[in-house]
Amino acid sequence: MGLLVGKRIFSIVALCMMVGLLLLPVVVALPSLAIGEETHAGDAAKKDGDKVEKGRDVYYKTEGIVSGAPAPKTTDGVKDYPRYNFESRVLLWFANQQHLYYGSFVLAVPIFCMIIEFMGVVTKDKALAKRYDQLAYDFIKISLTAYSLTAILGGILIFTFLTLYPAFFSYLSGIFRPVMHIYALMFVAESGTLYIYYYGWDKMREGFLKWIHLSMSVVLNVIGTLLMFLANSWIGFMMSPAGVDEQGRYLGNIWHVIHTALWNPLNLHRILGNMAFGGGVVAAYAAYKFLASKTDEDRAHYDWMGYIAMALGVAFLIPLPFAGYWLMREVYAYRQQMGITLMGGLLAWLFIIQATMIGILFLSTNYYLWQAMGRMRGAEKYQRYIKYLVFLLACGYMVFITPHTMVMTPAELKAMGGQQHPVLGNYGVMSAKNGGINVIITTTVLSFVWYMRGNKVSTVSWAKFGNIFMGVFFGCAYFNIIFLAVYGYYIPANVRVGLSVPQVATTLSCLFFMFALNSFMMKGAKQMGPIEWGKISARSQYALIMLATAFTWMMGLMGYIRSSVRLFWHVNEIMRDNSPWAYTHTVGFAANMISANVLFFWITILFVFWLGSLTAKKVPVESKAGIPGSVPQPAPSH
Amino acid sequence: MSALNNPVIALVVSLIITVGYFVLVDHYLM
Repeated sequence: MGLLVGKRIFSIVALCMMVGLLLLPVVVALPSLAIGEETHAGDAAKKDGDKVEKGRDVYYKTEGIVSGAPAPKTTDGVKDYPRYNFESRVLLWFANQQHLYYGSFVLAVPIFCMIIEFMGVVTKDKALAKRYDQLAYDFIKISLTAYSLTAILGGILIFTFLTLYPAFFSYLSGIFRPVMHIYALMFVAESGTLYIYYYGWDKMREGFLKWIHLSMSVVLNVIGTLLMFLANSWIGFMMSPAGVDEQGRYLGNIWHVIHTALWNPLNLHRILGNMAFGGGVVAAYAAYKFLASKTDEDRAHYDWMGYIAMALGVAFLIPLPFAGYWLMREVYAYRQQMGITLMGGLLAWLFIIQATMIGILFLSTNYYLWQAMGRMRGAEKYQRYIKYLVFLLACGYMVFITPHTMVMTPAELKAMGGQQHPVLGNYGVMSAKNGGINVIITTTVLSFVWYMRGNKVSTVSWAKFGNIFMGVFFGCAYFNIIFLAVYGYYIPANVRVGLSVPQVATTLSCLFFMFALNSFMMKGAKQMGPIEWGKISARSQYALIMLATAFTWMMGLMGYIRSSVRLFWHVNEIMRDNSPWAYTHTVGFAANMISANVLFFWITILFVFWLGSLTAKKVPVESKAGIPGSVPQPAPSH
Repeated sequence: MSALNNPVIALVVSLIITVGYFVLVDHYLM
């Protein structure tokens, strides 16, 4: 009894410490935030007897007291751009990308842990609850090693900035001065919370203590998300500056500097992207462990782990293109020219590569789900229909990756009769591409629905009606998506973008309504046979590795696109890049650089996985009993 | 409920509900 009370006190103290750590940066910042930057500047000016100088915010168009120096006008020399005998931009690109890969991984994994631990707490089935708990513990163990590496890479990144771009870094850190130390203190809070969360796992495994532990994961993720939002405000400021006048002088309102035109779209897009990326990396880890497994029991465990990670990753991948559309819409609203550079100008071919990668992600996901049906009896009934899904995916994919115009020789141009192919040219416009990607996503939803009912037969009295309704709903959804895509050809381009909204609504209707209907139909369903975890082809695991690699590559690509759209500006229209590397790289060089980054990340993350495998200790030992091994056991849920 | 399980009736009812839903959604959002 005394031990239990002791544990409770320990847990509550730990949680209070975390909340304290979370509030620490705010408390430390209160004096400067309460006094306000403007007052400082105003007081300083009054003391000198000067007239207070005011400036006009370049974005918000409000007036503010000038509280900072103008953006430095750099020159191509060792003063502003000290260098090694190598392109500084490439070194910075490498350091930045590696830090970002690891940063997004260690921010995503605790969110997974929170979701999986919560599933374990609310699950009625004790054996399944322990399996979820074990899985969450496995996840956090992986991220702990990666966390140290993230901090090291962050240090390398800062040194790279200070050494190679001192003028730029000095200006940016000056603008964000009121929140720079908050960012640093957030790291203290994040580290403290993560270590208490990880090392407290054993002591807080039951009842009330488990809820305290779960609350810690919420605190951990709040800190992690705030950290990311602050980091996003820097890149938001570089793309769409606000809170400064046209000379780049800070006007005293830090909220304007943080809350730029692109900040919130970037926040949403990055949260979803991090989650999908984290899911992909963990799924690849599980696939690697599955392929290396010696026993059926291990194979079953890692098969299940791979499935859960993939399902969580794809759950965030599905809304990701829509968040991307919002981001692009805001880019166009902020500066139309910037949008045109991205989608129809200098960087347009990179978007074709992006479309190719998105297609690969969805194709890999579908392929994995079709293979995964092999681990359940009763799913054979869907096998003969898969070829139709392949046809739909292939059609959607081909439309999605068709470029608007090709780079051609005069002879080729003449042979084709113009810049655009007479038939295929029609598929190179956004109207067709919106239709293509929505068909792909809807097909992925359909694959998921089939997978979820693979080994079950509905026993509800309206099962026949439910099945027919589901078929009709998907059929009408496909028709509606294609109808709206065709409609787009009959209206001007500037209003055509409005058609993407009902298309997205159609896809999301399929996602939410059909998942809900399927859940109702499968309540108390008859099981045709158990899910035989571990009984899956090796090909499926390579699909998971493909999924993760494609994701890593695409993150590198999109980071490059987002960065290079600033062209020759460090801070768009405020601080010019006068280094010898202000030009935009060729597509080929960029692709090679992205590939090198991906390769380096995967080599190092394999090292992290190997380090994690050295600590073979598994906390809830009893959970092993719940993992179905060579003898198939009924899995009560997905 | 048994009438709804008749394939023809199920198909007609499903089509009415689904087509009606998508027309309303498209109409409203456009």
